[in-house]
Amino acid sequence: MTFLRFIGFTVVRAWQGFWRNAMMSLAATATVVLMLVLLAALFIVITGLNSGLEFIESKVALTAELTDDLPDGVRDRLIADVEALPGVASVEYVSPAQAMQRLQASYRELGQELELGGSDSSIQIFASIEINLTDPNASGEVGASLDERDEVERVLTKQAEYDTLLGIINVIRTVGIVGLALVGLTVLFMIINTIRIAVYSRANEIEIMRLVGASDSFIRWPFILEGVLVGLVGAVITIIGVAAVWEPIQPAMVAIFQMPTAVSDRFLATLSILLLGVGLGVGAIGSWISVRSYLAAAR
Amino acid sequence: MTALLRRRTRTDVPDASVIRMVDVGMTYPNGKVALADVNVEIGRGDFVFLVGPSGAGKSTFIRLLIREQVPTTGRVQVAAGDLEHMRRGQVPALRRRIGIVFQDFRLLPNKTVWENVAFALDVTGTPGTTVRRRVPQLLNLVGLHEHAHHLPTQLSGGEQQRTAIARALVHDPAILIADEPTGNLDPVTSWELIQLLIQINELGTTVLMATHNQEIVNAMRRRVLALEAGHLVRDEAAAAYEREY
Repeated sequence: MTFLRFIGFTVVRAWQGFWRNAMMSLAATATVVLMLVLLAALFIVITGLNSGLEFIESKVALTAELTDDLPDGVRDRLIADVEALPGVASVEYVSPAQAMQRLQASYRELGQELELGGSDSSIQIFASIEINLTDPNASGEVGASLDERDEVERVLTKQAEYDTLLGIINVIRTVGIVGLALVGLTVLFMIINTIRIAVYSRANEIEIMRLVGASDSFIRWPFILEGVLVGLVGAVITIIGVAAVWEPIQPAMVAIFQMPTAVSDRFLATLSILLLGVGLGVGAIGSWISVRSYLAAAR
Repeated sequence: MTALLRRRTRTDVPDASVIRMVDVGMTYPNGKVALADVNVEIGRGDFVFLVGPSGAGKSTFIRLLIREQVPTTGRVQVAAGDLEHMRRGQVPALRRRIGIVFQDFRLLPNKTVWENVAFALDVTGTPGTTVRRRVPQLLNLVGLHEHAHHLPTQLSGGEQQRTAIARALVHDPAILIADEPTGNLDPVTSWELIQLLIQINELGTTVLMATHNQEIVNAMRRRVLALEAGHLVRDEAAAAYEREY
């Protein structure tokens, strides 16, 4: 019962404190919203780029175009040799006819028809082997050993695209995290200030509480909860905002980042939990620092 | 009234003392000596005046009793608790055994009389049923039942001080410390307030009253502790504000 009374007292006092100092509380809430919007954007972009990276990783395969008229025995030996290389998951032979079918299919997807120029066409489709890797980092070594083979005309790899995307992700991640840390610090100071103003504006009340024998918990927790309330309101506003624009964002994420996970409701739930956790955490830490330093000074 | 404040047995044996200071000294970091070699023992149920000019050390004396400060030398015991070895977490329990009122009342201006008194119970986790029972009793005791829903700004100085006394008594303290309680009051109101403090004292609550009011001290003829420049220069029973002999 005592604990329930404590909870009731704390919640009521925190709520009163939030509205008593409404302008400061709302200003702090607005900065929390700003930080969480940036966090949400960064989370979406980073997750999208990571997803794209995974997509490319899954597709990191080498294609070795084979010389013309390769006897079946030689081709089978080549395939066996490549399968034996470290980092290779599987090897698939693609005949010129299959390659042509794929090319035509890809044109049809774009709404066009492949024009081969009739019987005197000079278009040449190579037979090839497609090598899937267990480890994308093995791409270089496998490619080098294929290059040495006489049966191989040329080796095609997606390593360059992979490296480019990884570089972009690392830059965005670093810039985003630094930016987010700066905004986070600003928010933290904003909350510390808000709660400090609340504490000082109620210095008389705190003095009376101490003199009549209120424990530190009764003095401290309403202020901490007030900071948590700032974080909570900020997080809820941000979540509602993100949910409101979720419909137009979702197809863009799928299209831009090749990010099928964005389609699932779990992504929005994960993002909401992240925003809520960060909002509450920043609110609690900020107000804790503020009240702690005040109470430490007062006996 | 006996139902409001637990009647305490008055006794003269040393163990019954509720306040004990042994060789207490207090020197502030700037070197100012606020108290030096103070030895005092106040028994349960006593009514004691603490007198002295401004800067004599009265406020420091009171701050040591409620453990707002700890002495630089000596020992302070209040309500059988040794304040020197008291942990921070134990201080609230000590303060519930000491009621304190100040010259400036220290009421919360945005709360009514009822809420000001109830506040002291709410912030110590007292059940609502107890608060609703206890507050009217205390307002009756101090004669403010009619003013329960008035704000402090709607009260006279005497009524505000009575509200502060009601608030100080919510936990049925063993000691009531009054720091210049009549400082802002006219003579008639001051006497009414003293009558109230005497009533409270007669129920066994130890009253320690810091004051400059010579007329009251002389008329009451109670024990007087006189401080000067941090030294206890006089400790006399049934005494006047200043030595008359």
